[in-house]
Amino acid sequence: MKNKKSTVLAKQHRAGWIYLAPATLLIAVMSFYPMIQAFIMSLKTGSSANMQWAEPVTYNYTRMFQDKLFIRSVGNTFLYLIIQVPIMLVLAMLLAQLLNNKDLKFKGLFRTCIFLPCATSLVSYSLIFKSMFATNGLVNSVLLNLGLIENNINFIGTTSTARMVIIIALIWRWTGYNMVFYLAGLQGIEYSVYEAAKIDGANGWQTFWRITVPLLKPTIVMTAIMSINGTLQLFDESVNLTSGGPANSTITMSHYIYQNSFGDFVANFGYASALSFVVFIMVAVLSAINLKVGDKRDD
Amino acid sequence: MKRKILAALLASTMVVSLVGCGSGSEEAASTAATEDTAAAEDTAEEEAPAEMSAAAAGENKLTVAAWDANFNIPALEAAAEDYKANVDDTFELEIIEQSQSSDIEDAITLAGSSGDYSTLPDIVLFQDHWIQKYVSDYPDAWQDVDDADVDWDDFGAEKLSYSTINGKHYGFPVDNGTVVFAYRIDVLEECGYTIEDMTGITWDEFIAIGEEVYAKTGKYLLSMDGDGNDLIYMMLQAEGGSQFKDGQPYITENEDLVQVCEKIVEMVQKNVCYLANDWSDYTDQTIIGDMVAGVMNGNWIIPTIEQVSENSGKWEITSMPTLDGGEGYASNGGSSLYVTANCQNPDLAKKFLAYTFGGSTVTYDGALRDGGVITCCISAGQSDVYNEGVAYFNDTPIYAEIVEMGANVPVIEQNDFHYTARTYMAAAIINAVQGADLATELQAAEDNLNFAMGN
Repeated sequence: MKNKKSTVLAKQHRAGWIYLAPATLLIAVMSFYPMIQAFIMSLKTGSSANMQWAEPVTYNYTRMFQDKLFIRSVGNTFLYLIIQVPIMLVLAMLLAQLLNNKDLKFKGLFRTCIFLPCATSLVSYSLIFKSMFATNGLVNSVLLNLGLIENNINFIGTTSTARMVIIIALIWRWTGYNMVFYLAGLQGIEYSVYEAAKIDGANGWQTFWRITVPLLKPTIVMTAIMSINGTLQLFDESVNLTSGGPANSTITMSHYIYQNSFGDFVANFGYASALSFVVFIMVAVLSAINLKVGDKRDD
Repeated sequence: MKRKILAALLASTMVVSLVGCGSGSEEAASTAATEDTAAAEDTAEEEAPAEMSAAAAGENKLTVAAWDANFNIPALEAAAEDYKANVDDTFELEIIEQSQSSDIEDAITLAGSSGDYSTLPDIVLFQDHWIQKYVSDYPDAWQDVDDADVDWDDFGAEKLSYSTINGKHYGFPVDNGTVVFAYRIDVLEECGYTIEDMTGITWDEFIAIGEEVYAKTGKYLLSMDGDGNDLIYMMLQAEGGSQFKDGQPYITENEDLVQVCEKIVEMVQKNVCYLANDWSDYTDQTIIGDMVAGVMNGNWIIPTIEQVSENSGKWEITSMPTLDGGEGYASNGGSSLYVTANCQNPDLAKKFLAYTFGGSTVTYDGALRDGGVITCCISAGQSDVYNEGVAYFNDTPIYAEIVEMGANVPVIEQNDFHYTARTYMAAAIINAVQGADLATELQAAEDNLNFAMGN
């Protein structure tokens, strides 16, 4: 009797493993193996056809702290992160709150409109923003015709405005995406909670901060992690919108990594892999902090 | 029922996303920064054979990768026709068209890094500045063409200095990168100048004239792509100088270079030169958009100038100004054909290249007519086609003039890190134009360049 039971269990186990095997194998071959190879590569230097162990082995890692351009790319990326992520998340939450209104008409239409930017490809929207903000582009002619400026502004060619354009583009592209998560979260909140708050005399502002935000906390943490993660890996906008310029003042970490492997910088795969691992560690650390901060349960 | 539909939908999205993962090199590069290099390498390698590999070449067939349907591809077609008509009518040349030169350069980096040259065609065309780096990094990827039946002395020495490594010839020059300074003679006339007044002047005189032209006509006398600023390289070469000395960066202590940079900053600040944000702004906005009265670049820029048909007959070309006066000559861009290790029939490749690009007037005349490709082969540049007047340039025989100028370009020290230097120097100029101190910026450029070179 006992024997038979264990064979059933064993059978179930085996079936489970068989179901898991294809995915595990694929992840191992397509993801983990390249990661290990990349790590080994990050300890090597030299021509990419004939890479040698670096002397000392950590050469690529210690080197980057003297690399002014890398430090600048880290600075740029964090600048985008600090300015763009909070603005975007607050906007997304406000929009979600508006669109969650029971009495609102054409809700579906509005939701679609706000989500639509996420359906555009990263490259094409970057190029569209680039042409909109070009020296003789749409934004300049609108501002000029409204009499707000006297001469065309070289948005992409000036450091401060180029950064601003990237941030505006990012907000346009990703706000709707985060809004959808908040909408889903809001729909999970019982309406009776709000009714109770109303009876207790809470105004809209108080309801939002005291009820909506705390109840949305898991969603907020998730969107924050995703946004931080995404911003740290920012690539398309830097490459296509500003090409890292002017004078590398808008270059992001991923763009710099790419340049070290394929761009104008000479194929330096060892250094590029080392940079990749540093970005990886940054993402991991930031996500861990975020999880810790967000996870304040009462127990 | 609803659940079943949902399940089917989910399953199908999963399948789609899996497929997407397999082929999307774009996605891999942007989302997976940690695996950036490894993943990109994998996918690009997978794609390369489909695009570039030599399709099991027949006895008399060669494959070649090139990138510009309006420029170098017509030149290759002309060469293939020439060889077919005059040497071997069974010969076949398969041209693999790429969208830009960097596609070919990336394919070489990948093939070289993996040691699998089978992804390369028999012959590749790429920009001259890369070859030194490629031969030192991937020595096995190339077959030298030293024993080809060519009179090498018939080519401009400066052009050959790129593709000659340790005394061995590796490439066949295709186009000529000789710098021309094209001016709008009608605009100059409006301000009381002629093309002769612009020839052999100093940059200071040029700036004075440029200010006047801008004040009177609102046109800039020069423009350049600020991001990939070639002005520095060209102006310095006209002085006979280089950004490198004995393999090391030579920037802050290079007086000519510092002066050249000062002049560029001055030109931009005085509205003599317009620095565009990127290459397409440079060509589309400043040149085709008719913002400028002067264009200085490698002569491959001429087809771009000619796109503004209403300005036909209003342009003429001359040499560059220099710091101390006198005619300046430089070269920028230009590419050559190289035989890869994957070529199974190197003798045919050498024979074909030697017959055509080695000096055949039929090939070069066809290349000029169909693609505007100007040779740096001195004898081929003396044909009738070259000596015809060009209507767009006020019926002056610009092609013969360019070939002649090409023979005067000084040979300067080249370096593997040419493009890295260009990036940092361009950044220094932009920062200086925006108000930073030029000396500090040049020091930073030198430091960064030393850093990139591992010094």
